[in-house]
Amino acid sequence: MSSAEELYKQLADAVVDMDEEKAVLLAKQAVSQKVDAYQAIDKGLAKGMERAGKLFEDEEYFVPELIICSDAMNAGIAVLKPHLKPGTAAARHKGVIGVIEGDTHDIGKNLVKIMLESSGFDILDLGRDVPPQTFVDKAIEIGAELILMSSLMTTTMDTMGDVIKILIDKGVRDKFKIAVGGGPISQAFADRIGADGYSKNAAEAVRMCQSLLA
Amino acid sequence: MPVISFINENINVTVEEGVSILAGARAAGITIESPCNAMGTCGKCKVIIHGQPPENPGAAVLACQTPVSGNIAVLVKDYREENRSLRILAAGSGFSYEKAPFITKHFRGGATQVYGGDKPLGVEEGNTAAACYGVVVDIGTTTIVSVLVDLHTGGELASDSILNPQTVYAQDVLSRIHFASKPEGLETLHRVFIEALRAMLFKMTSRAAADILNIYEVVFSGNTTMIHLACAEDPAPLGRYPYAPAIWGANHIPADTLGISPFGRIYLPPVISAYVGADITSGILASRLDEKKGAAVFIDVGTNGEMVIAKDGTLAAASTAAGPAFEGMNISCGMRANSGAIEAFHIDDDGNFSFTVIGGGTAKGICGSGLLDMCAELVRTGVIGSNGRFVFPEKGNCSDRLKKSFRSKDGKNAFFITDDVYLAQKDIRQIQLAKGAIRCGIEMLLAGLGIDAENVETVEIAGSFGFHLNENSLINIGMIPPRFAGKVRFAGNTSLSGGLAFLLNTAFREKMKALVKRINKIELAADPGFERNFIKYLNF
Repeated sequence: MSSAEELYKQLADAVVDMDEEKAVLLAKQAVSQKVDAYQAIDKGLAKGMERAGKLFEDEEYFVPELIICSDAMNAGIAVLKPHLKPGTAAARHKGVIGVIEGDTHDIGKNLVKIMLESSGFDILDLGRDVPPQTFVDKAIEIGAELILMSSLMTTTMDTMGDVIKILIDKGVRDKFKIAVGGGPISQAFADRIGADGYSKNAAEAVRMCQSLLA
Repeated sequence: MPVISFINENINVTVEEGVSILAGARAAGITIESPCNAMGTCGKCKVIIHGQPPENPGAAVLACQTPVSGNIAVLVKDYREENRSLRILAAGSGFSYEKAPFITKHFRGGATQVYGGDKPLGVEEGNTAAACYGVVVDIGTTTIVSVLVDLHTGGELASDSILNPQTVYAQDVLSRIHFASKPEGLETLHRVFIEALRAMLFKMTSRAAADILNIYEVVFSGNTTMIHLACAEDPAPLGRYPYAPAIWGANHIPADTLGISPFGRIYLPPVISAYVGADITSGILASRLDEKKGAAVFIDVGTNGEMVIAKDGTLAAASTAAGPAFEGMNISCGMRANSGAIEAFHIDDDGNFSFTVIGGGTAKGICGSGLLDMCAELVRTGVIGSNGRFVFPEKGNCSDRLKKSFRSKDGKNAFFITDDVYLAQKDIRQIQLAKGAIRCGIEMLLAGLGIDAENVETVEIAGSFGFHLNENSLINIGMIPPRFAGKVRFAGNTSLSGGLAFLLNTAFREKMKALVKRINKIELAADPGFERNFIKYLNF
């Protein structure tokens, strides 16, 4: 294993081990050793977050661990970011995310956003209580490929279907992949409103989004 | 030899000095629930005692752990309502107050005048002044409990409890709102409620040999959604931000549909917010939260954990989306507190576990209090780590007996209590979410009022399974701060006992109306610190 590869692994381990200080220390080491910053993020920190996501899916990790892992990852990224060479970053998939109108429960949405960002997605967070038209307008405005919606309340989830109706009316439904999630949401519900994807947790959401865009 | 006087039962028994109150009760044929079989762990045999030093008069002690040293008087919990298949909590702690009901009747000139406050409502022929009844209905999402009361004496004549018939159409509050957001859905949910209530009124008046036409006032206590449905009001706004109720209570509505006296009325206690309802107003009244010295906390544990904190008369209230885990929903072997449910669980010093099953038969599943006990005991003994993960048996320092209970279920670790009933890793996650939400709410309300948990003097826990909870378990899983130890009182169904106070003393209506206006309604999710706090309290 080359010293760079050894460092990537250590960076990944620091994230999985929830060790923010170590992640920062290793990131600084990467900078001083002139290791490519993009690779250090992609093969190191982000890889660690991917492993954390896997542990979450295996029920080994839970929300607090996932958040602390992402804190460690972001602390490392903050060190490396100024050293990214212009133009080295691969094109990132863009998406908009938000909690549907009428609903203000956003912890799940925030988790999905963290997981996607750590996997190289560019996510615009529209916040909570987001009207259907806003999802459509913002997705078109930033040239998003993904529209991601969540709801924790049975009473608000049907509004997600309105987003898809607006897209169809505008004749732009095919330009986007649409995925939904949240407490009362199921695959059957996603099928019923004509969404492209559903995932039951934040870690699974990453794989689902990747496969939608594959 | 000392004499124990059991107050409610009116029985005196002479015992050897040093025997426990529980042993004395058993000798006298009095039932004191003791699921841990006098281990001193389950806390269910609490009784109130008077007259024995060094305890304060009125102290609550464990009957199984308290030896009798001198003559004492003992107040045992009343079990009349407990021996049902579904354990519906009908009793709630009350307090004494002057009987001054809204409805009064006066016989003069050969006829009886019915008054509501100082306004005449109607006249009945002859002298009917003695027959003057009222009803309190606690409309819970899952259960409905009613009590028929003599308005002259305040005495309870009959009570009845049923499963809320609306559950057939939609299980939880949000599904209920969703179902009722269409006019025919609302009509259905309202109709089945009214039909069920009429049947309850009929049953109670028959049992008490009372005439249903002599019921003049019915108090509806319940969460905001249930009150909307009971009043045939569209609950849709409750299900969407900004969660605005259409009904705020503190008023009367006609009672035409109930078949009671033609002069009868329904009284709605004041509503605090969309998710802190009239049931909580009743709870504040029943626990006299606003009159407590120092800081006091009231928590209603359920699908929505509602909490109110009071300090020197300043009140703040919030609700948290705890989810239905405590009702046994979303749990692999979860069930309601029906017969066959494991309701208590304990691990002794040798690492052997024991549990109690409602009804005493074979365990079919685990209800809310059982889940809390299990998590708490497994956390206490290191079987579950502070991060909520099962510690692998080879790593943990648990006993062989506990290790043997670890088995794989669908490729994942699970803790088997019996061959059929187990606790899975994902179940623990659900409990973490539920208790984390409640703890986060408590901590944020405390912080908002600048109160240290240390300085909280009383903690009242109400709710559908209140009496079956165990303070140690609540602390061990971190649902309440450790500093609340020794301060917790399980208040039972305060929606009902508070509703009763509204019925029997009309002065509470204006008082609570003013108080509810003063309550600081906190929207936890709007606080930028909410998410971090919630996540912090997910751990055990």
